[in-house]
Amino acid sequence: MRLTHWLNALRSPVGAVSATLLSAFIVLALIAPIIWGDAAEQTDPSALSQGPSAEHFLGTDGLGRDIWMRVLVATRTSLGLAVLATLIAVSIGTLLGVLPAVLGRRAGRLAVALVNLAVAFPALLLALFFAVIFGIGAKGAVLAIGIAGAPSFARLVQTNVAAVAGRDFVSAARVAGVGRVRLVFRHLLPNVGEPLVVNATVMAGGALLAFAGLSFLGIGVQPPTYDWGRLLGEGLSRIYLNPAAALAPGVAVVLAGLAFTLLGETIAQVVGLRTTARRGHLGVLPTLRRREPDEPTTTQPGSNGASVYDGVSTQHAAASTDGSTVRPDDAVLVARDLTVSFPGPRGWTHPVDGVDLTVHRGETVGIVGESGSGKSLTALAVARLAPEEAVVRASTLNFLGTSLPDRSDAELRRLLGTSMAMVFQDPMTSFNPSMRVGRQLAEVTRTHEGHSRRAAWDRAVDRLRKVRVPAAERRAAQYPHEFSGGMRQRAMIGMGLMSSPDLVIADEPTTALDVTVQRQVLRLLREVQRESGAAVVLISHDIAVVSQMCERIVVMYSGRVVEELPVDRLAEAAHPYTRALLGSVPDLATDVDRPLATIPGRPPDPGARPPGCAFAPRCAFADDTCTAPPVLEDVAPRQRAACWHPQSGPVAPSPLAGAEPAVDVPTRTGGQP
Amino acid sequence: MKELEFRDVTVRFGTGHGTVTAVDGVDLTVPAGSVVGLVGESGSGKSTLAKAAVGLVPESGGEILLDGRPVRRTRGRRTLQMVFQDPYSSLNPRMSVGDSIAEAMPRGRGRKERRAEVARLLELVELDASRAGSLPGGLSGGQRQRVALARALAAEPEVILADEITSALDVSVQGAVLNLVRDLQRRLGLSILFISHNLSVVRYVSDLIAVMYLGRIVEFGPAAEVLSAPRHPYTQTLLDAAPRVGTSLDDAVPADRSELDGEPPSPHDPPSGCAFHRRCPYGPLVLPERTICAEDDPMTGADTRPHRAACHFAADLEVSIP
Ligand SMILES: Nc1ncnc2c1ncn2[C@@H]1O[C@H](COP(=O)(O)OP(=O)(O)OP(=O)(O)O)[C@@H](O)[C@H]1O
Ligand code: SF4
Ligand code: SF4
Ligand SMILES: [Mg+2]
Repeated sequence: MRLTHWLNALRSPVGAVSATLLSAFIVLALIAPIIWGDAAEQTDPSALSQGPSAEHFLGTDGLGRDIWMRVLVATRTSLGLAVLATLIAVSIGTLLGVLPAVLGRRAGRLAVALVNLAVAFPALLLALFFAVIFGIGAKGAVLAIGIAGAPSFARLVQTNVAAVAGRDFVSAARVAGVGRVRLVFRHLLPNVGEPLVVNATVMAGGALLAFAGLSFLGIGVQPPTYDWGRLLGEGLSRIYLNPAAALAPGVAVVLAGLAFTLLGETIAQVVGLRTTARRGHLGVLPTLRRREPDEPTTTQPGSNGASVYDGVSTQHAAASTDGSTVRPDDAVLVARDLTVSFPGPRGWTHPVDGVDLTVHRGETVGIVGESGSGKSLTALAVARLAPEEAVVRASTLNFLGTSLPDRSDAELRRLLGTSMAMVFQDPMTSFNPSMRVGRQLAEVTRTHEGHSRRAAWDRAVDRLRKVRVPAAERRAAQYPHEFSGGMRQRAMIGMGLMSSPDLVIADEPTTALDVTVQRQVLRLLREVQRESGAAVVLISHDIAVVSQMCERIVVMYSGRVVEELPVDRLAEAAHPYTRALLGSVPDLATDVDRPLATIPGRPPDPGARPPGCAFAPRCAFADDTCTAPPVLEDVAPRQRAACWHPQSGPVAPSPLAGAEPAVDVPTRTGGQP
Repeated sequence: MKELEFRDVTVRFGTGHGTVTAVDGVDLTVPAGSVVGLVGESGSGKSTLAKAAVGLVPESGGEILLDGRPVRRTRGRRTLQMVFQDPYSSLNPRMSVGDSIAEAMPRGRGRKERRAEVARLLELVELDASRAGSLPGGLSGGQRQRVALARALAAEPEVILADEITSALDVSVQGAVLNLVRDLQRRLGLSILFISHNLSVVRYVSDLIAVMYLGRIVEFGPAAEVLSAPRHPYTQTLLDAAPRVGTSLDDAVPADRSELDGEPPSPHDPPSGCAFHRRCPYGPLVLPERTICAEDDPMTGADTRPHRAACHFAADLEVSIP
């Protein structure tokens, strides 16, 4: 796994170039002094200061030595000194960098301050200063460059360590009595190693340049030793006579510097500090899978498009199949066979895999599912907010009678902007932190409805009042961080009310809130819904929250709808997953003397969904039939379940309800709380 | 197992005007071998109290005692262990599961002994002993939380502080972790301070329940009694707001009254008198004659009231839940 990452990186242009360059330099550093070392020292009084010739590829220097050979031989010194200086910088920097984490509070702060001071000092000046102290020569220069580089590395270590030190596993280690030294070596450093290695590599490139500079200035390597910097210095004095003598060491410095920097980039890519978007070799995205009961997963060839709505809009032949008797024009939203796919390292994954969803005017629909079940993605896809790299397809996707895939971007923005409102879990990330709340609300009507600035602001204040933000006038002029969580969420709802939406999609709107505030926000949402007649789709992992607010509940599991039922039928849910979910979450009436029902295992990854029913590995009723994908079918009036063995009878309050794999059990007798 | 006692514990953060009293003179006892559930809304100081006990934040006042003696925080054996909320951040991603667990063991054990102990602990939390060599990366949230529990147990603690250990888990695996906690507690006779914002979860595992509001314990008593006959209006409000299948948002509860503040007060600027008075459905905003609520701190005399309730009207609070 790790190895394949590296191999992949080597295949990328940056990786390939850096690897080739670096191996060439390393080989040179190893063998050049051995092979050409003597030849490069050989003076030739008969050929002083010559230009390039057949005998001397880049000409000769003032003593008649071959410049090409000298450049090659100098590789070892140049690289060696650069690496040495980097090692010094890294060691001192790491030591200084972990100090704050190891020392007490006060001493730690002092260490941080010192490093910050040292960083502010210009590195070159520091190097010159050290060169003077340590004496002119390679030793002084190495120390100088090493020590000059230490503070910036120390700061890097500090910031990275500080970030890791705040994580719970470090607290846990402290609580477990782990000593400071062990804390540093086992818990802190291993978890910051990656950015440090990347930076050390880039730093080596810098050290190489700095060294060349010092030698060039005559305060680096001293004769008779020579490195590229000195060759450059010597060559430069005769640049008009023999440009090659100056160019060659210059090119060597640049190439070696480049090799280090590119290596840094490559490592960064492999360890995931930078991400590269790769879309190649994924193969063709299978189009619309229609799963008929008797025809398991047929895959039709399709195109691999990139735009958001590239699903083919096939004839919407199937009449409303959700068992309700509403006129089609009564639907605010109709999605059929909605699929959201992502390109992944091993081909396409489908976190939303053929979802049917119909929302009628003024209705409240709840979507329940665990994290990763695809409930949010379903909503985002409908609202056209799915991530960039996602491919959304559907055989039908109608909003207010308009087929979304057929509309231009501008039309869609306008339609969705005025008629659909989204409320997210974390309103802090959905508000712009640097803009007053009132202005952000006002912006909505200004963009979509062209209200004047004043009118838009007044409406914003009015809406904030509507969602019961106290002192709305004053609050409108505040920034999002000045709002509490509950108030931000209400402001978010207020933003949705700036125009008059026909559909409000609320995605875990209260998950981050306390129960008391949650109740208020939900009551507000309901009130708004009643007053405006908008339909609401409420998404939550909490079946109780959804049941309090919604008329109809859609249960999702692993990217598919497994059950759809009116809220008053929850107690007679038919799908084993719905039933297990209801039994495994404790409520205020749960029998505390019995173990909670549990669902073994964990939800599957969308990339590794079992064939057939995705719940089968965790299901007590699974049998061979379940390897074929079940489809949503009526199990009761207005209730549909995608299961080969739908259960009936009341959901038992406790575990082992239905542990005996019975099929279509008639009404179960037994305790209902 | 021993008894953990917080005696008048106060924790302050910041200095000068920015000072926040996150924990404000808390008296709380976790009796040996029992589970005390600590509930309260976000920011009420639950985590801070637990962190003070294990020494992750310094207490500004008061004492934390184990069987009457101040908690020792020496190296070597730690008598208090904490399990954290987020199992994705509480395990070192670079350390194998077995190493993480072994690290918490008391000093002075041989390699072999440690390895055997790791295996035993993994089996105790219902994980396969062969997991010892794997890195946390491959484990699910529920499995990670089991490892975190095993690590806490490895230290052979006297008391465990469990801070929201199920909140970050998938709904379908929460139950299994709760079962495990209960089972372990009964088998090993652990003393646990079990922190959660979820009353139903706390109810399921606790013998006693403490309700925290703005840094203080406002009600404390046997779990069943606190939940069936709460003596503090805040507890009642929490109970009323807990979402339940089979109820509707339309069923109004006392705390829905619009004259009440919807939001918790700022801990920087706590209200006068009873800290709950601007949100209390039995307080002065609803019953104007109860002026005492805005004037006198009901913490005084709480010890003499039922459930040690910090409410002037605890005795005649007319509440009960079906
Ligand atoms: N390191 C800190 N510096 C400053 N203030 C802090 C710090 N840690 C916590 N606080 C504050 O202390 C108060 C109590 O926080 P604490 O985390 O203990 O609450 P909690 O009850 O655990 O909440 P939650 O349910 O959200 O976990 C809050 O007002 C919080 O902002
Ligand atoms: S019975 Fe079969 S089809 Fe139904 S949920 Fe279980 S595994 Fe799936
Ligand atoms: S003291 Fe007054 S305001 Fe405080 S909880 Fe009791 S009744 Fe409510
Ligand atoms: Mg907390």
